[in-house]
Amino acid sequence: MAEEPEEPTLPRLPLSVPFSDTRKRLRSMEAPPPSTSSDPAVFSSDDDPALDNYQAHGRRKRRYVGTWFDQQPASSDSALGDETGPNYPPPRRNRATPKPKKREFRRQLDSGVWMGTDGAMTDTDDSVDLEPPTARLSLLPPHDPAPLPLSPARPRFPDEEQAAINMIRRCVDNGIEDVDLSGLRLHCLSRGILEPLSHIAPIPNVTKDVAFEQKDAEIKVFLSTNLLRTFPLDLLNVEHLTVLSLRHNRLTRIPPGIGKLKNLQTLNVAQNSLRFFPSELLALLRKGGKLSSFQFQPNPFWTPVAVPPDNRGAEDYETRTFNPGPTPAVASRWIGLTTRLQARTPVELTDSAHTSYTRFVLPQTTNPAFAARRAPPLELEPFRQLATPRGLHHVLADAASKVAQPRGAKSLFELAVRACVRSGQADWIAAELRRDGEVGEGEGCWSAHLAEAVDRAADIQRQGGLECAVCGRETSMPLARWVEFRQVGQLDVLVGPEGVEDSRFMGLGGVSEGAVPFMMVGCSWRCVPVAADGVDGGGSG
Amino acid sequence: MADACKYITLVSSDGYEFVVLRDAALVSPTIKGMLRSQFTEAQTGRCTFPEFSGVVLEKVAEYFHYWHRNRDREDVPDMEIPVELCLVLVQAADYFNLDARPSLRDPA
Repeated sequence: MAEEPEEPTLPRLPLSVPFSDTRKRLRSMEAPPPSTSSDPAVFSSDDDPALDNYQAHGRRKRRYVGTWFDQQPASSDSALGDETGPNYPPPRRNRATPKPKKREFRRQLDSGVWMGTDGAMTDTDDSVDLEPPTARLSLLPPHDPAPLPLSPARPRFPDEEQAAINMIRRCVDNGIEDVDLSGLRLHCLSRGILEPLSHIAPIPNVTKDVAFEQKDAEIKVFLSTNLLRTFPLDLLNVEHLTVLSLRHNRLTRIPPGIGKLKNLQTLNVAQNSLRFFPSELLALLRKGGKLSSFQFQPNPFWTPVAVPPDNRGAEDYETRTFNPGPTPAVASRWIGLTTRLQARTPVELTDSAHTSYTRFVLPQTTNPAFAARRAPPLELEPFRQLATPRGLHHVLADAASKVAQPRGAKSLFELAVRACVRSGQADWIAAELRRDGEVGEGEGCWSAHLAEAVDRAADIQRQGGLECAVCGRETSMPLARWVEFRQVGQLDVLVGPEGVEDSRFMGLGGVSEGAVPFMMVGCSWRCVPVAADGVDGGGSG
Repeated sequence: MADACKYITLVSSDGYEFVVLRDAALVSPTIKGMLRSQFTEAQTGRCTFPEFSGVVLEKVAEYFHYWHRNRDREDVPDMEIPVELCLVLVQAADYFNLDARPSLRDPA
């Protein structure tokens, strides 16, 4: 754009002229002859061929100050000269000015006139994914000494993740609801890659005489036959996910947050390394739920020791422990997936330092060395018994003990740890606690378990939060854990004419199909199973 | 010394004093131990904590009363913990034994 010509410095006023002289000046009648003006001549020229000059501000001519033969020929004919600085008249020197070179028209690599404009580079393209304008600069002559950084802002992903990103972008752009990311050899999906999936909106069918209807998206994500070790947690925020296939990966656990995916109709987690399911998955496997297809075999699930079934005890235990609300009414007929309880293990009680106080201890899951081994069958506890570990009766009787408060005030430790997680800097805080533990001598050991507690709480939050199975409160410090073995099957409910429900349960793949473990979590030592039929082993009231 | 039975004073490293209900403060096994018979703190009812500043000790004292107020209730709303204090409060909770750990040797 044209710069205003710089005003020549005015001659200083002679100081002898007093400012207090307010006498009216006489107007001189004759105009001064133009030739005597000391201002340099101003002329304008339109010879700059750069297109930018016309697009941005209309057609404005460039103005030059001074005589035309003082202008440097190179300064006015290229976009390069335009960027380096405004066109000031060169300082007039006393020595003879060099003879101005003849203007030559040669191809300017950077000029918009000689080059075909790239579609992605036009100013009207307001796509958000514009590459940073390094491409334009990189067309400079190669002898340019300054190396240009190659778009430092955008992190580079491995090729397979880049392929996934491209696929997701295409689906979002075109409103495609089937996102096929299978067989891409994905090892992991960095955070944020799957995040755009929640923006997929179907393009509605607009036809004549049909009322326009915006329907919710039905997003289907296929991540089968990859090498994923962790569940892509971004998926937990995709509200309208209806089909999710994670078949043939290397997952070791399903996050509890999967219970949030209420619209899920098909879930395939077969051929992974799963040991158990979170109890939150049961929220989807419930009468009235939408999940209708659930593939989970084969997986190296925990297995129970053989035990005779006790259906009445199971029912009684469930109603006493979980206090289920009224079952949702069905209109006339409902077919869907539910589970049927078959057995449960004893309870493992831990404290906030994750030390176990019970004889029964669940197998390791976090340590990959332990997790790789095939776990031995888990021992079971009859529903009519509840064995409180010896030596813990007085703890449960002590009302002041924080482990025994099911719904009361949380411990300050848990409150503080939750605040750490909420601050979003849990990693830093854990590192700081570890460092404190190393520096401080004497009581140095006391920080180690603090850092671990913060780490565990942060992990739980990443997985989508954990709820106490009994009292339903959110917890970041589970103190009781046990496993329920449940058979997944199809429930067929038929409502008769008198409103009497007739239901039939049929196990998936026949009765021979083993029961699947579900990890139950309690937030205190009283949020534990209640013994069925009043046969109380002590401890719970 | 009549009120000394009902209230105790917590003193922080920078000299702030917090007078709290004795019953409320007894939720912390650490304080319970300090107030046991033969220690000076038991006689004077003053517990000095050179490890913690007044800001932290104020929050701890607030928790004592929060716990005391809600000890028999259910579905208690969580106490607000300011984010800038969370790191030092984790350590304070550990110091005062305010975490969820059973006291196995103390069948009180």
